[in-house]
Amino acid sequence: MTKPRTTSGKQRGKPAALAGVLVIQSVAAVFFLGDSMSELWHDPFSRHSLFEAVVVTALLAGLAMGARQLRQTLQTLRTQDAAIATASGALAAVIRAQFTEWDLTPAERDVALLALKGVDTADIATLRGTASGTVRAQLTRIYSKAGVSGRAQFVSWFVEDLLVEDLDPADPDPNSPGASESLAS
Amino acid sequence: MSTRLLEDHGQGGADAPPALWDPIVRISHWGVAAIVLANGVFNKGGGTLHIWLGWIGMALLALRLIWGVIGTPEARFSAFPPNPKAALSHLADLVGGRPRDYASHNPAGALMVYAFWAMLCVVIASGLVMTDGVSPMRIADQQAAVAAGDWSVLVTEDDGAEDGNSGEEAGEWIKEMHEIAANLLLLLAVLHVAAVVLETRAMRRNLVAPMIIGRR
Repeated sequence: MTKPRTTSGKQRGKPAALAGVLVIQSVAAVFFLGDSMSELWHDPFSRHSLFEAVVVTALLAGLAMGARQLRQTLQTLRTQDAAIATASGALAAVIRAQFTEWDLTPAERDVALLALKGVDTADIATLRGTASGTVRAQLTRIYSKAGVSGRAQFVSWFVEDLLVEDLDPADPDPNSPGASESLAS
Repeated sequence: MSTRLLEDHGQGGADAPPALWDPIVRISHWGVAAIVLANGVFNKGGGTLHIWLGWIGMALLALRLIWGVIGTPEARFSAFPPNPKAALSHLADLVGGRPRDYASHNPAGALMVYAFWAMLCVVIASGLVMTDGVSPMRIADQQAAVAAGDWSVLVTEDDGAEDGNSGEEAGEWIKEMHEIAANLLLLLAVLHVAAVVLETRAMRRNLVAPMIIGRR
């Protein structure tokens, strides 16, 4: 029921691995630079120095690209998390507002929320420490206040909005501004 | 009805410090902390391990400083500019009640960060001068050569040329600087830990978790 709504653990591991490689790379780069610096300094155009210069350049380029990659990965993960948080926060706010509009009692709000989450009647009764008859009666009142026929319609009342928003971009005729309004009303 | 979901619900906590610092910040933080503790307390002698750790610390510092330019928004220098005035007002807030949130380090913490970096630079630079900037790998090579009986590697070009007296004096001075800066680093570390404890109490928020695994 309470599964965390964040990006999966597999993706979480990616920046950590990238950062680990980056750290090892920079340690290697500093050691190598320190080691070859005097050589590069004293005799910059010998074959050995030129080779070392190439290696140093490659190391530094790898470092820079690794850092960029890491930042992009972190940014992507954050954007995804933010989108999920915004969406779930927005949905929760919509649900709260609608419950108030329907004039649900505190007990009914609880039951309604659990029902939305897909908990079945017997489990709601157990969770709230009441008889399942009570829960059934509360659900009936909730459905009648919301003007829906049953749980399926109750849930889809909230899902409908999401689907409408989703379909909008695929509107075959973007030039008709009234299309989405007439659909949604 | 379709516009309801698009209403602005405010990105709450946009100004709060990150729930989890990015991996580069965390690795460099704990790596440098471990090295400062190891080299400053347990391994003061200046042996081979001391130099190895110092070089690793230099790499971590370099990476963190580069990350301060190209890294995540909260890791960049621009997110926590040094501002003594703001730091003082933050400390006043801390004494007076609940201080406000900042998107990165708080102004007092930022000053601490810059002090740490400055001291680290002094310690690393003086350490490099003391060892003639010889890398640990070269030291290992030399030791291997000496072990094999070739003492000539210990004679460098500088040795003969340098004026013995003033060179030694400068060396003493550098060594003194290395030790003073290292002790200051340890002092800063103690202050830093104390500040984290105080701040955790005042903010009623776990400040340590974001630096480790970041459980909210």
